[in-house]
Amino acid sequence: MRKNFIAAVGGLLFLALLILIDLAGDWGRLGQGIDNLLTFTGESMWPPNWSVLEAQSYPVCEKDIEFFCSVGYIGMVETIKIAFVATILGFIGALSLSSFAAKNLMPMPIALFFRIVLSAIRSLPSLIWAIIFVIVIGVGPLAGVLAMTFYTVGYLGKLHYEAFERMPSDSLEVSRAMGLSHPTIFTSVVIPETGNHLLSQLMFMFEYNVRHGTVIGLVGAGGIGFYINTYLKLLQYDKVLALLILIFIVVIIIDLLSLMIRSFVTDDGDVRQPKWFSFLKKLKKGSEQ
Amino acid sequence: MADPLLTISDLSIGFKEDLVRDISLEVHSGEIIAVLGPSGIGKTTLVRTIAGLVRPRQGSFELHLPSQGGLGYIPQRLGLVRHASVYHNVNLGARASLPLLKGKREERIERVTSAISALGLKEKIHEPIRRLSGGQIRRVATARALAQRPKLLLADEFLSELDHSTVDVVIEAVQTLIDSGNSIIMVEHHEENVELIATRIWLIQNEQLLDMSIEEWRKRQEEEE
Repeated sequence: MRKNFIAAVGGLLFLALLILIDLAGDWGRLGQGIDNLLTFTGESMWPPNWSVLEAQSYPVCEKDIEFFCSVGYIGMVETIKIAFVATILGFIGALSLSSFAAKNLMPMPIALFFRIVLSAIRSLPSLIWAIIFVIVIGVGPLAGVLAMTFYTVGYLGKLHYEAFERMPSDSLEVSRAMGLSHPTIFTSVVIPETGNHLLSQLMFMFEYNVRHGTVIGLVGAGGIGFYINTYLKLLQYDKVLALLILIFIVVIIIDLLSLMIRSFVTDDGDVRQPKWFSFLKKLKKGSEQ
Repeated sequence: MADPLLTISDLSIGFKEDLVRDISLEVHSGEIIAVLGPSGIGKTTLVRTIAGLVRPRQGSFELHLPSQGGLGYIPQRLGLVRHASVYHNVNLGARASLPLLKGKREERIERVTSAISALGLKEKIHEPIRRLSGGQIRRVATARALAQRPKLLLADEFLSELDHSTVDVVIEAVQTLIDSGNSIIMVEHHEENVELIATRIWLIQNEQLLDMSIEEWRKRQEEEE
């Protein structure tokens, strides 16, 4: 079994390398390309220009802390807002559509129709959705929200219906035999049984949308990507690097938050109090004494 | 005699080939039917066919039950929502016959709490199913049926894996359903449980279903011994 697995992985790797050789053509350019990259980062990007975290010259900053008037802060907050709204709206849309797309919840023709709808939504990357909405409603964060919402519906919809299809069939069979309605079965049987997976997927999608906020901003759909695009056009790569580092830090924070939220739920879906929570309580008690 | 709850006409059940053939029967109010026979003979398939989960190979059956919550079902694997509480699961039974849109909230709560109390699960009311023992989980499935109060309950081995004292508790609770004129079709392996509750026997053997009263079944048992 183990030998077969190693042979299969080895075979796939060999095939991938053959295809890569066919695709790559001239390998000589790779060494030169690395040199170009080092020159570019060394001379144009490094060191990062942290002036992006200082207040802009216009409009005049009226806040006590300058950081809150900076490009980095304004752009990042807008990106997080876009990602948050799009994730919540997309989650609700995905839940509704995926309840009709799961084979174990709906007859096959209906499930197939909704799967095709979700595939169609998903087949357009968020960048293309952003271009469409920038054309339709103009440049700004609303275009970003709509673009990300659509992509979230397509992406989460697939993850959701796959989670629904993996749930045990017996509780669904009993519910149907008892004559419970489709909405009742969905809200009172399917969601409690798959809640842990849904929560996990929701957190993943939020993190994904924050990261992707930078990409859709490039076409004018708001957020930090808008500023990255501006600095790219002005060849201010050191400021671009500073903003990229900022995004990296925010993504790590979101990942930690996601880990913290998920630690309240066990792998089996039970709610529990994580160890770090008891530790915080002890700390609080200690400081009160 | 009153109208039957279930009419079966020339029914053949199975999957790729017939497990049981040419069943023609009626089930009336107040009857407790035990379906007996060796493993794999088609007892569960018969119950699942009546529950509408397996298509009959031939023939038909008709349920004369209220459209909402008239049919109850306890499958072998019980079909509980494992990540939800005891209350949530039992409430699903009450919601099957008293949907939320119809109001009657107090009646629903009363049904749920009395079913939970009747099965001795009051202490566990907010516990998730996952944290209960095997016997407690079986009692929750019975409580769900009790809260639903179906005219016809299909129960697949709902008394198995229970100790004697728990069987007594479950039967006493189910007795309230029977006393109100509801019927049960139960798949059962233990003869002592059949003796405790059944009024009629469906014995499956050689692809045929033999319908007999409990007295006829006892006589047959004696003759075989």
